Amino acid sequence: MTPGLLPMPLVDYLALSAVMFFIGVTGVIVRRNPLVMLMSIELMFNAANLLFVAYARAWLNDAGHIFAFLVITVAAAEAAIALAIVVIAFRASKNVDVDEASALRG
Amino acid sequence: MSANVTNADWAAVLSIAVLGATGLAVLVADLLARTFVRRYIAIAIAMIGIIAAGAIVFAQYGTHYSAFGGAFVVDYASVLFQGIVLLGALGSVILYGAIGEERRIAGALALMLWSACGAMLMSGAGNLMTIFLGLELLSLALYALCGIAERAGAHEAALKYLILSSTATGFLLYGMGLLFGATGSVALSALSNPALATNPIFWTGVGLFFVGIAFKLSLVPFHTWAPDVYEGAPLPVTAFMSVATKAGVLAVLVRVFLWSLPSQHVSDMLLPMWIVAGISMIVGNVGMLAQRDLKRMLAYSGIAQIGYILAALAGGSAEGFNAALYYFAAYSFMNLGAFAVAAMLSGDREEGSVIANYSGLGYRRPWAALAMTVFLLAMAGLPPTAGFLGKVFILRSSVETGYVWLAALLIVGTAISLYAYGRIVRAMYDRSTHPVPAAKPFVPLAALSAAICAIAVIALTFYPFSR
Repeated sequence: MTPGLLPMPLVDYLALSAVMFFIGVTGVIVRRNPLVMLMSIELMFNAANLLFVAYARAWLNDAGHIFAFLVITVAAAEAAIALAIVVIAFRASKNVDVDEASALRG
Repeated sequence: MSANVTNADWAAVLSIAVLGATGLAVLVADLLARTFVRRYIAIAIAMIGIIAAGAIVFAQYGTHYSAFGGAFVVDYASVLFQGIVLLGALGSVILYGAIGEERRIAGALALMLWSACGAMLMSGAGNLMTIFLGLELLSLALYALCGIAERAGAHEAALKYLILSSTATGFLLYGMGLLFGATGSVALSALSNPALATNPIFWTGVGLFFVGIAFKLSLVPFHTWAPDVYEGAPLPVTAFMSVATKAGVLAVLVRVFLWSLPSQHVSDMLLPMWIVAGISMIVGNVGMLAQRDLKRMLAYSGIAQIGYILAALAGGSAEGFNAALYYFAAYSFMNLGAFAVAAMLSGDREEGSVIANYSGLGYRRPWAALAMTVFLLAMAGLPPTAGFLGKVFILRSSVETGYVWLAALLIVGTAISLYAYGRIVRAMYDRSTHPVPAAKPFVPLAALSAAICAIAVIALTFYPFSR
């Protein structure tokens, strides 16, 4: 495949990415389990990754590929810290539902 | 983008490297040190590192350099924002040293230093990748810092902050993706192309980017996390969040929205941003009225004050930018000072953050009460403090650039806030209240930083570096 040519039209990638982002946002808003919420956030990050990679091919600019790798690395670090915090919050309250975490008034 | 990295490029980020290495040094020293000196060694190393980084930063004052092919920029703004970040880091390191738990001190200081590295990286960010990297370095360390205390409230605050802040990062990142798609480049300089002014993908990206930034700055309507997280996090961490975090994010906001966007149509397209600033002033000041916890009150106060700073930026003039910087410097000193006084009154349970404990303080701890009065008057914007002069500068710039309605909202907000701040001042000097005066240890380090901040808040009035 020649560089710069995407196997599908660019708009298909954008549509898929927008759908992923929307599902991620909906997941964060609707779901109450912190683990599922974190998974939804990962979906938002990966929607952005898809944008970066698709546009990197479209513009022939490798910065987008590098950005996607950067995001993957940082998201892994974020997941490590996030799971640690969920574990200590779980130990303190014996459940993992954000509605139960309401000692601080919103 | 040039592939050659010169020594000058590394020199531009030397201060950040020094700060990061200091974090490691604090951890190693903690392993080697004997138990009873651990606290002082950790504080000493952290302070030396921050002061060294500060010296390197201010040696760059007046220079202009674009490092790593434009990824990191050294200029007037980067130096001043990095200076404020380091000031915030120094203040919160001292406070953590003064009241933090002995066995967590090294870890907390190291995390604060690394978080400050992220904020410094954001201060000089020249492309989207640097912004993302700086933001995540800042945030990841802060998530851990929020949950570092043993209290259940701290874990809850950390969880809330983690989920909401990561969601905001998701918005920001998707916005960056759209900006990259619209421009074909990650450099901020590519955003200034006038052809972009009619590109819907571009403006969607700008909008999503702003949602992320507004969340991190706790602007209305993305502010609801701030009071909870401020209350749950340990007091020194709250002090750090209120200064260093905001400095980094504010620098990004200035670089992206004011200095990079195509100037054509910008003032119209950015109108939502100024509306958000105006609403933040009112909501923050009204929210302050009902609070019984000092940290929650300062969270609402911070929401309002970031609104004031944005009002200064609204015209996009150089004078407005200087007014914003001046007010932000004053804000940093008064916030750090207020947290330092709270630390002076705190034992293991952070009694200093309960507003009821301030009644009659003027007769029990006159100097602490005097310092607190100075900070509260500065936040309310009364003379002879820098808060007053800063507000005058902001009013002048927003009236001159035609944002009279923002100036009017600022005055209304200030009037509301006078009641909230005045309430505490009156309680401190009220003879009729006689709460049980709990014996509090004298905290020399916190007292020293409160004194320095109080002097700075007044001294800045006589050195208005805003031109």
